[in-house]
Amino acid sequence: MIEIYVFQKRKYRFLFACLGVLFLVLAGRLVYLMIFSSEELSTKALDVEQRERSIKAARGIIYDRNGVVLADNQPVCTISVIYNQVTEPEKVIRLLTEKLSMDEDEVRKKVEKVSSREKIKSNVPKEIADEIREASLAGVKVDEDYRRYYPFGSLASKVLGFTGADNQGILGLESRYDSILKGTDGTILTLTDFRGIEIESAAEERVEPVQGDSLYLSLDYTMQSWAQQAAEKVLKEKQAKSVSVILMNPKNGEIYAMVNVPEYDLNEPYHLLPAYEGGEGSENDKLNNMWRNPLISDSYEPGSTFKIVTATAALEEGKVTPEDTFHCPGYKMVEDRKIRCHKTQGHGAETFREGVMNSCNPVFMEIGARVGAERMLYYYKKLGLYEKTGVDLPGEAGSIMHKLENIGAVELATMSFGQSIQITPLQLLRAVSAVVNGGTLITPHLGVRIVDSTSGENTTLSYETEEGRVSEQTVETMRSLLDAVVSEGTGKNAQVEGYQVGGKTATSEKLPRGTGKYISSFLGFAPSDDPEIMGLLLIDEPTGVYYGGTIAAPVMAEIFQNILPYLDNL
Amino acid sequence: MAGKDKTARRVPSGGTVRSRTAVRRPHAMDYSIVFLVIFLVGFGLVMVYSTSSYRGSLYMQDAAYWLKRQAVFAVIGIIAMFFVARVDYHFWKSRKWMLSAYYWGTILLLIFTLIFAVVSHGSRRWLRLGPLSFQPSEVAKVSLILIFAIYISRNVRHLRTWKGIIKSFVLAIPVIGVVGIENLSTSIILLAITVIMIFVASDKWKPFFAIGAAGIAGIAVLLLTQGYRVTRIKVWLNPEQYETGLQTLQGLYAIGSGGLFGKGLGQSMQKMGFVPETHNDMIFSIICEELGLFGAVGVLIIYFVLLWRFMVVALNAADLYGSMIVVGAIAHLGIQVFINIGVVTNTIPNTGIPLPFISYGGTSLCFLLIEMGLVLSVSRYMKIKE
Repeated sequence: MIEIYVFQKRKYRFLFACLGVLFLVLAGRLVYLMIFSSEELSTKALDVEQRERSIKAARGIIYDRNGVVLADNQPVCTISVIYNQVTEPEKVIRLLTEKLSMDEDEVRKKVEKVSSREKIKSNVPKEIADEIREASLAGVKVDEDYRRYYPFGSLASKVLGFTGADNQGILGLESRYDSILKGTDGTILTLTDFRGIEIESAAEERVEPVQGDSLYLSLDYTMQSWAQQAAEKVLKEKQAKSVSVILMNPKNGEIYAMVNVPEYDLNEPYHLLPAYEGGEGSENDKLNNMWRNPLISDSYEPGSTFKIVTATAALEEGKVTPEDTFHCPGYKMVEDRKIRCHKTQGHGAETFREGVMNSCNPVFMEIGARVGAERMLYYYKKLGLYEKTGVDLPGEAGSIMHKLENIGAVELATMSFGQSIQITPLQLLRAVSAVVNGGTLITPHLGVRIVDSTSGENTTLSYETEEGRVSEQTVETMRSLLDAVVSEGTGKNAQVEGYQVGGKTATSEKLPRGTGKYISSFLGFAPSDDPEIMGLLLIDEPTGVYYGGTIAAPVMAEIFQNILPYLDNL
Repeated sequence: MAGKDKTARRVPSGGTVRSRTAVRRPHAMDYSIVFLVIFLVGFGLVMVYSTSSYRGSLYMQDAAYWLKRQAVFAVIGIIAMFFVARVDYHFWKSRKWMLSAYYWGTILLLIFTLIFAVVSHGSRRWLRLGPLSFQPSEVAKVSLILIFAIYISRNVRHLRTWKGIIKSFVLAIPVIGVVGIENLSTSIILLAITVIMIFVASDKWKPFFAIGAAGIAGIAVLLLTQGYRVTRIKVWLNPEQYETGLQTLQGLYAIGSGGLFGKGLGQSMQKMGFVPETHNDMIFSIICEELGLFGAVGVLIIYFVLLWRFMVVALNAADLYGSMIVVGAIAHLGIQVFINIGVVTNTIPNTGIPLPFISYGGTSLCFLLIEMGLVLSVSRYMKIKE
């Protein structure tokens, strides 16, 4: 029997104290980890445990001015497989190959790829996706999202534009208003185990997606359709390359219709139309060409329609009155060059008023010379021809003008009847609007208001206007001169029974000259004493007769015949 | 209580009986130890179920697979504990041959294991007995404590000299060495138990402090100069840079995401396969995640109270032999808890040691409970201040 010695008891206490210290160290470490590093470590833990899945937000809807849906969303599905969960790969491959009509090798490659989630196909119609879901094979996931859908297919294709694979706006209004139209994607945060499999009992954190805001346009479905029909008809008749129409309210710049046929199908934007198949360039260049909106992106020599600008400048400068007399021998000598009138035998003696009605080149060369280059450019500037129109569409081109120091008598003469300078059709329309609407330079536009998808709040879009660009008197004179062009002059074919139509014809030879390619155009507005609507029609490369007054004016008359009564009823 | 009644009845029956019981009359065992141990075992079963149910339902088609196995060992272990507690601890040294039998028996068993072991997790540590596997290194811990308790109680005077200290230490080397071949962490525990038991029994302080200081200095120098060579140390310092540090990191994520009050029992996310060995060595990280700082510190306090009760028993033991058994148990339990929680919290470099009573492991639990039985037996003969 051996008792415990006192020194041993002391050692017990020492041992116990040591263990106490060690335990305190552990407790301290735990406090550090679980209080001071808790936040950091929890975040890192969630990083490993949580998986984020986004729920696509529906895009905002685009309506025309009367609430007709021009761009909508269609529910579609994305099919994907989760490698770890697939139990019957052969069955999955067979099902997906069959239902999605995909290449078997491609499906096999994706199904057999070791990845947490492999996308097989997106934009699958809902019915097909439902069939796949009903087969309920393990590891096959069907996620719903939205695809942009355009109920009218090719209607206003070059204006609306379309969206890409991630529902982002690529062209036209879809691109310009992308930040408004695109919604906020929602997310589902799910907890997963170490294999990435969602834990069924775990609560999901769900952030609901918010649909994008709706956009109301000034575009009118009815006017757009009529304009498109008329354009398609003349395109066919004249076997032209393309036909464009813009209809706009000259008072506030609201665009009612913007047509450029052939229009492509917005639901199949990558399907190249036969009309765009010819010519040089890659497939991509051809697609870009099909998608482009020449009314804002291409500049051209406007020709005689531009005489409106020259006349306005001369009237404003007081260099001419409608009753001033001129003589047209069929040409005019400018320095050493003989510049011809379109009527080679000449118009003879005529007043300025008759000169406008006849679209007589020597008259305009004369008044152009009277105004002089410097003042002429001043009026160009006043009518906004040096700046982009500011239309709410992407890809707008600017004008190509002579520099003041480069303008000799010849350049000034050609400028006077709309040659040797280039502007876009919309710039011309804007400038002429200012001339006939009372002198206000407007901003042409399509977007009118935005409706918030959650609050329903309306936001009206505002655009710049500049008043007093043309004097009251000149406006009156120009209205009556342009009215006379239609009622008695070269624009006779644009007459519409029961309405006073004003306008100007143009036939411009395309550059380079001598190829026999023309742009025939007509710019018209009604009623001519207080215009409510203004239209510009361009026929690009018509075959056969190419005079604007002969082929473009009647088409505009046809459009106006429908639209003017329609506008009265609005 | 039953024991006390028996002796009380026996008292008037005869003089010889009376004289024997006067020396060591058994009384009630220390019930606070019984309570704490059973609480820890029960808590361990709950945590084993919580940590293994997901994996169990995934791989074994039975959420309670590991719980059931552990419960069987817990029941066997508790029965064994009470049985051993009822036996007078002097019985285990009542015959002269017993010490040599324990000593050589342990060494032979360990060598046998090295030769015939089943390879698991890349180590030969397991003997298969029918449906159960058995880890002899866990037995070695109990037998080493018993061997040294017997040896020291017989040779305590020799421990007053350098020679005696070294001689007793040499006695432990074969056992520690054989275990160390396959299981370094257990051999560290065995070494610690041996050193502590010799330290406590010897009247010397300075040599142990010298050895301790030299050891700490040596380890410090090694870490500072060569530490970058040892993967284990590199992983310890920068777990995020190594693939093997992933286990440590995931454990830390679990601990950190527990916060003050934890996610609630069963609500751990990290046990969904992120933390490996959740029901084994890493179980404490899930305790932290589910029960928070309060739960974790609570568990630490329970261990500490248990060690304090051991200390009371050791200080008041009837003799040095009993006292040394309890000191061995203190060393075993204290070191193992420290190493396990230290590893889980990345306070010390990684080494695989189970958390006593709580971690899954049948042999470990059973023999730990047998060891508790020994302590309880000692407590029955403890001197109680009247």
